[in-house]
Amino acid sequence: MTEPNAPATFQLPEQMSTVAGDVDWLYYFIYWLSVVLFVGIIGAMLYFAWKYRERPGHKAEPTGHNLPLEIGWTVAPIFVLVFLFHKGFQGYMDMTVPPANAMEIKVNAKQWGWEFVYPNGGSDNELHVPVHKAVKLVISSTDVLHSFFVPALRVKRDVVPGMYTSQWFEATHVGQDDIVCAEYCGGRSKDSSGNELPFAQMTGHWSMHSMLHVETPEDFTKYLVGIGDPCASYTVKGQTCPASVLVAQGRKIYEKKACIGCHTTDGSRLVGPSWKGIWSKTESTDHGSVTVDEAYVRESILTPQAKIVTGFPPTMPSFSGQISDQEIDEVIAYIKSLKD
Amino acid sequence: MAAVEFPVAGGHAADGHGDPDANYLQATHGFRSWALTVDHKRIGLMYLTMVSIAFLVGGIFALLVRLELFTRGKTIVDGETYNRFFTLHGAVMVFLFIIPSVPAALGNFFLPIMIGARDVAFPRINLLSFYIYLCGVCILLSSIIMGAVDTGWTFYTPYSLQTSNSVISMTLGVFVLGFSSILTGLNFLVTVHTMRAPGITWTRMPLFVWGMYATSLIQVLATPVLAITLLLLAGERFFGIGIFDPKLGGDPVLFQHFFWFYSHPAVYIMIVPGMAINSELIATFSRRAIFGYFAVAMSSIGLAILGFLVWGHHLFVAGMSEFATMMFSALTFLVAIPSGVKVFNWTATMYKGSIVWASPMLYAMAFIFLFSIGGLTGLFLGTLSVDVHLTDTYFVVAHFHYVMMGGTVIAFLGGLLYWWPKMTGRMHDEKKAKIGFWFVFVGFNTVFIPQFIMGSRGMPRRYYDYLPQFEPFHKASTIGSWILATGLFITAFTLLEALWKGRKAPRNPWGSAGYEWMTDTPPCLANFHSTPVITRGPYDYHLATPEELSTGWDEVEAGAHTKKKD
Repeated sequence: MTEPNAPATFQLPEQMSTVAGDVDWLYYFIYWLSVVLFVGIIGAMLYFAWKYRERPGHKAEPTGHNLPLEIGWTVAPIFVLVFLFHKGFQGYMDMTVPPANAMEIKVNAKQWGWEFVYPNGGSDNELHVPVHKAVKLVISSTDVLHSFFVPALRVKRDVVPGMYTSQWFEATHVGQDDIVCAEYCGGRSKDSSGNELPFAQMTGHWSMHSMLHVETPEDFTKYLVGIGDPCASYTVKGQTCPASVLVAQGRKIYEKKACIGCHTTDGSRLVGPSWKGIWSKTESTDHGSVTVDEAYVRESILTPQAKIVTGFPPTMPSFSGQISDQEIDEVIAYIKSLKD
Repeated sequence: MAAVEFPVAGGHAADGHGDPDANYLQATHGFRSWALTVDHKRIGLMYLTMVSIAFLVGGIFALLVRLELFTRGKTIVDGETYNRFFTLHGAVMVFLFIIPSVPAALGNFFLPIMIGARDVAFPRINLLSFYIYLCGVCILLSSIIMGAVDTGWTFYTPYSLQTSNSVISMTLGVFVLGFSSILTGLNFLVTVHTMRAPGITWTRMPLFVWGMYATSLIQVLATPVLAITLLLLAGERFFGIGIFDPKLGGDPVLFQHFFWFYSHPAVYIMIVPGMAINSELIATFSRRAIFGYFAVAMSSIGLAILGFLVWGHHLFVAGMSEFATMMFSALTFLVAIPSGVKVFNWTATMYKGSIVWASPMLYAMAFIFLFSIGGLTGLFLGTLSVDVHLTDTYFVVAHFHYVMMGGTVIAFLGGLLYWWPKMTGRMHDEKKAKIGFWFVFVGFNTVFIPQFIMGSRGMPRRYYDYLPQFEPFHKASTIGSWILATGLFITAFTLLEALWKGRKAPRNPWGSAGYEWMTDTPPCLANFHSTPVITRGPYDYHLATPEELSTGWDEVEAGAHTKKKD
């Protein structure tokens, strides 16, 4: 067995999870098995090609039969294959069945970003987990297929709209790694009028990147407190959340829920209308004109197709079930703050 | 004793399709004589022209994709265009080039000749299948280009439902193409069963024919699943029945099952013909019968059957149940056995042979080299826990290119060089062919070995942009694509140059014992002047007469001298 927490090798990235050691052991076992077989076959082929090359006085011998040899190389691989199947399946079950005490984190994937919702209700677009603690991710998609992949953890799980998939892991040491999307989910590099966007604003499958942060339990607890909704503490005490806190929180949601992918706040045009100055404006839609107020914003978040502002495509997914009333209030507060 | 006897003197009665004893290229003339031909050889050449164009188009998209990835950020095109490029590369290569390449082009030309038949069983259906193929090409290309399809060649739902309305027309295109291959497959099956010349028993059938037979079985049995998929997609689209779209209560994973239920057997439609060519090349250039003929023939049939049972290995992380995952992993490993048998038997055939280092043999050895890498890297992907890390990364991209391109395309090129003199009557320049080969071989490995490494390091597929640590590998891979393209252009030039500058090829330029070399070069319209009666196997070098094995180059030289004197 390889050492747990082994650093990156030429072929494989650093190991950061409890299953990585076994996966890598099996990877290198197959690798060396393949090298031996390959060198044997190709070595024999090249040796024969040279030794028995056509030349004057040399004649091919008629092909004979060698039944034991033929049966041998048909049957012998079966033992190796059964071994590989067994080890592979065992390792697969280890990474599929989570321990009962695993901490659950909800993962929402959407074009083109990740959102992680923690047990205390706080959410973020990066994944923070405590070290040496089993974490079970419950993964869902709001639009198309995605795939949650963290190379250092050696885990990958497709994200399928209409169902939950799950993946668990236990990080073995403090550190960081990339979270990437491994199932093709499209991309956008032009604005709604067909003009090419600058590279930094092109988004898609390739840009669906986030970070995994493995932290000490103390750091993780601090982090959890930090991402909790600050307004919640006011509500508990029966006080009104100050406008500045609401706006700041709304801005966070704007980034976390990937609103930022389609709506700008500087007046420039992406897939959806910019939020700058949109509050209390009268917009013409496919169902007559509406005033952008609390009711319309709420409707647009929960049932986006109800009234489409003229000139924009009906592509926004519904956030129904993924956003709380409190969060909608915060987004509204943020949009209001962009009035001027 | 001569293997070929001519019991019936004379030949075939003329039937309005030209003189059956005349060279098939010159028997009739004019556009109509090609467009309406029912001669399997001409239909084979027309397919060859079409698949070569498709290969060129698909190859250009491959070069554009690689060029875009040469540097991080935007290199030549924006992200949406890049997504369309790799979709076009995949769809064109898979559906328009590689599936029809060997069976429809070389199979059509050589299967009847290699069993001593005059034509396929249903010559008119053969022509029909060519025109259906052309229709399929039009439907597929127009829906991809007009629909601006950017879904990848797998058309996974729901993304394919979300971005364009082309998924139905694309499936229709693939189905029409499939229908063409059903007809070709059916034609081959009937031909092999009913039209073998006297003396060509099942155990004397050339391994190329065995491979075509196995391929035809898959084509006939797997393609109807596409029709079912099409019907379900149409039902969903027009009647709102939720099948694949989660918004209607459907299941996107079900689409993947349907897609791979056809497309995985299609992988064997692609590779089994490549293996079939390779068996011919190895035998001819080792001057020796294939070791374990029966095992090699049966392993093609074995692959055809197993090919139907392993589609689920594309779905190991897709949200399939653990039980199904386990079953598909176990079944997938079984594929290694017939594949291994072939590789072992080819190598054993070379033992104590007389190896001719001709250009087709270089391709045959390259096939063993590259296919072994493709096959062995399949072990990583069949092993569940390792697959979880590697699936949907560049490791998979490299793996299937080693099988599809390192296998089938290399065998196709080897087969083209091998049979080119028989098909065209002209010999290519071996020196140029070998130079082309080395560019192809070195280029291919330069493209795809870095892809294995970046894949196992965690680089996902279908990325327009990538993290900085992958840049050196992408650079190397792109440089490799230029070397590979150079090799392919040299090879194409070599073949085309032979048409107007090549020496006139004799009957059996490689000195093979195969049946197809017993007839004229190029073959007469009826393939043989009278029905051949075969008294030995196609690889029985020890039973073949010296006249049969004679290359005939001496006579060509002598002929050239006589002409000069005249």
